[in-house]
Amino acid sequence: MHIMLNDTPLQLAAVSTLAQLLQQQQLNTEGLAIAVNDSVIAKRLWHEYQLQNHDQIQLFQIVTGG
Amino acid sequence: MLTIADQSFHSRLLLGSGKFSTPQLMQQAIKASGSQLVTLAIKRLELDKPRNDLLTPLRAMTIQLLPNTSGAKTAKEAIFAAELARDALQTNWLKLEIHPDPRYLMPDPIETLAAAEQLVKLGFVVLPYCSADPVLCKRLEQVGCAAVMPLGAAIGSNQGIQTRAMLEIIIEQATVPVIIDAGLGAPSHAAAAMELGAAAVLVNTAIAASQDPVAMAGAFAQAVSAGRIAYKAGLAATQAYAASSPLTDFLAAL
Repeated sequence: MHIMLNDTPLQLAAVSTLAQLLQQQQLNTEGLAIAVNDSVIAKRLWHEYQLQNHDQIQLFQIVTGG
Repeated sequence: MLTIADQSFHSRLLLGSGKFSTPQLMQQAIKASGSQLVTLAIKRLELDKPRNDLLTPLRAMTIQLLPNTSGAKTAKEAIFAAELARDALQTNWLKLEIHPDPRYLMPDPIETLAAAEQLVKLGFVVLPYCSADPVLCKRLEQVGCAAVMPLGAAIGSNQGIQTRAMLEIIIEQATVPVIIDAGLGAPSHAAAAMELGAAAVLVNTAIAASQDPVAMAGAFAQAVSAGRIAYKAGLAATQAYAASSPLTDFLAAL
């Protein structure tokens, strides 16, 4: 399966959910938010969301700012 | 007490978390400011860069985190940023800001009003950064914003209250808290904003970019308190002439 992760192409084998993708990428989920194909996927659904071929995944994080 | 939506705060100083030279300095300044509402932003994660754990130390403090939509140029982008921020921080509180102009960061009133109306319907507690326009502030209030945040001057300009006459009208008419945001460059500006009757002020650059942010945060805290007390006490009227009756009596007695 091919996906785009913040504009980086990624070939996935043993990964099927968003939560598994985060684990594989070793990402700290504190302050993280995710949109798939421009729709926000809530944290509580990361375990359920089944990745599809060609999904565009965007990761966002909380940063400092006024 | 400052009450916004269903929350009460002792401090009337909101702090922006940007531009501090280190996260430690930011935390010390927050502490010194006594602020209970601290703004944060959201941006795309850069996968090749290491992430600092910003949130764990902030969550250990007794403050409420207020994400903003900085970077949004349209209502649509702001709503997207708001939904991301709500999920990232698990809060429905939002400082709405939409500024398409990169030079002055002037808030877009049309996009801001449109976004505010939508976000209130989506269940957000919306605090919009806006121009010091009494009609716009009233409209933002009517669509359900929990406060309005008109600017004193351009963001980061440190010019103080350039919009005084308009702020006076906004404060007179408002039935939600008026938080003066942007442009306050010195504690005296913050005190002046509070003397006008503002419910609170938001400060970032003036503290973060000062030579000693921790000391400056404390100075702003005192100025905000002093300004609030002065407002409640009722300032004496300004006059065109000097009236000094004790001196007159003294001369008459000679």
